[in-house]
Amino acid sequence: MHHAYIDKFAYQDSAIHRLDSRVKFLVVLVFTAVVISLPRMSLSILACYAVGPFAVLVWAGIPLRFVFKQILLVSPFVLVLALSCPLYDRTPVVVGFGPFFWQTTTGWLRCFAILGKFVVTMFALIVLVSTTRFNDLLAGLQWLGVPRLLIIQLGFLYRYIFVLIDRAHHILLARAGRKLKNLGFKNELRTAASMLGSLFVRSIDTAEHISIAMQARGFDGSWHTLSKLHIRRCDVFFVLVAALFISGLYLLVRPILT
Amino acid sequence: MHMANELLSIPVAGGTLAISAASLGFICRKVRQVIAADKLALMGILGAFVFAAQMVNFQLPAMPGTSGHIVGAVLLAIILGPHLGAIVISSVVIVQCLIFQDGGLLALGCNLINIALAPSYIGYFLYKSVTNGHFSSLKAYVGAMSACVIALETGAILVVIETAISGVLVVPLSTFLVTMIGIHFLVGFVEGLVTVAVLAYLQQLRPDVVADSLPGVIRLSRKAVLVTLGIFAFIIGAGLSLLASDLPDGLEWSYAERPDQPDFQPVVSNPDSRIAAVDDLQSKYSPLPDYSARGSKLGQVAEQQADAGAGWTSLAGVLGSAATMAVIWLTAWILRKRQPQ
Repeated sequence: MHHAYIDKFAYQDSAIHRLDSRVKFLVVLVFTAVVISLPRMSLSILACYAVGPFAVLVWAGIPLRFVFKQILLVSPFVLVLALSCPLYDRTPVVVGFGPFFWQTTTGWLRCFAILGKFVVTMFALIVLVSTTRFNDLLAGLQWLGVPRLLIIQLGFLYRYIFVLIDRAHHILLARAGRKLKNLGFKNELRTAASMLGSLFVRSIDTAEHISIAMQARGFDGSWHTLSKLHIRRCDVFFVLVAALFISGLYLLVRPILT
Repeated sequence: MHMANELLSIPVAGGTLAISAASLGFICRKVRQVIAADKLALMGILGAFVFAAQMVNFQLPAMPGTSGHIVGAVLLAIILGPHLGAIVISSVVIVQCLIFQDGGLLALGCNLINIALAPSYIGYFLYKSVTNGHFSSLKAYVGAMSACVIALETGAILVVIETAISGVLVVPLSTFLVTMIGIHFLVGFVEGLVTVAVLAYLQQLRPDVVADSLPGVIRLSRKAVLVTLGIFAFIIGAGLSLLASDLPDGLEWSYAERPDQPDFQPVVSNPDSRIAAVDDLQSKYSPLPDYSARGSKLGQVAEQQADAGAGWTSLAGVLGSAATMAVIWLTAWILRKRQPQ
């Protein structure tokens, strides 16, 4: 088990980590919705909105290098679509930034606004994910009305994802040790299909063993967790500060900047 | 092709979230009635299997250096049935969002529909309807291939529709559609090949697992692959050329936002009352529906002076935010330095 790097920061401890998962989830959801509905061409207001999640990330002790790496990793689709904006929207527009003025097109403004919103909302999502243990998040989601079957499914999935990724690594290593060159499409496909098939069979067998073990311990389909949810004073404080930040920027700063 | 928040408008994101939540709730209730407790572990582990399976890559032909991997939605739907398949793939999409940050939180509804719900049901019913009746290898091939290709194409087309209704992108609809359909045809075709090969492998090793979906023996043959490819190339080619001639090129979804051409007439308008209603809803409920960048030309002195104030405020906004972030970071750094380990 050496894949805990993906959400290892969720197991740190800080004031942010100790907040209730429901509170964090809802605040991030509202924040994302507000950022998405900001004007499509204004960049400076996005910079102001970035301050909030940035402060929380720093406070929670999440390394910024990890954050940016994560954002870069999931950006290709958005990047391609954003960069296609300047090709199709060539309405000229004059942009002023401090003492500088230059002419550009609204396509570029759109492109940078999409990328800026992407970065800011990713900040918020990373705050949620890397300061909340997945089990707590699931307990919160169940409280918020997500079906119990889906919660159990997600719990199992999370528990075994790293086990099976480990297995896939072993199979990939075995192939790399035996395959010294490109085998051609047909054989590549056949090898991959055999690997997938054996992975599938092993998964089914594992599932059978696990479910026998669980039934031996009295599992009847109900799911009990240790995660306790309770709203404390600091949760209320966090919600107040977040509401003040989001609405304050929206009502006071946005009209000036746009 | 996970959607991001930024490509959607609030009404589209909210609507798709509501639709996917309702259908997932419905499916869960339905499955809960028929499933035994011992199947719960199997479903969870097959979700993890999808993640592991996506790591198994293989070289693609004609494109050296690129490798593909399986998506897995149709494979699971064929083996498990559409309801269980839909739940497993939905949980995969949710974990991709919440742990790997792939796809935005608000776009989760779109992603669930495009990647999990639509492909599972469409793939399953296509496969079943093709392989219905007397079983033959060719039927299994055509069934799995058409299931994969059409299921993935549906997801791709849904992505285009959702972004078009949102109106964030200005890429002409037909260009975007043709690109997405082209790419996903290739993806779907390779997915179909792998799916058939995995089914054949499973039939040799564990016939009990695929007994429902493969009633006869499936043989891997070059001829069957070529015949299927021929059929698909024909169908998709004909469809694409029809589509391309049908849609006027350069259809601008943002036709209402062109300050440079006040007399610009939309080439195509959509008289559908539902779209008008969505537009209405968006303009009513999105806090600020239109952008406010001024379209002025260089050289107009009066306009430039009017813009000067805006330039300074935006500079102040960006610099102020940057300074705040720097102060926050420095404070945290100093505090952490002081703290004994």
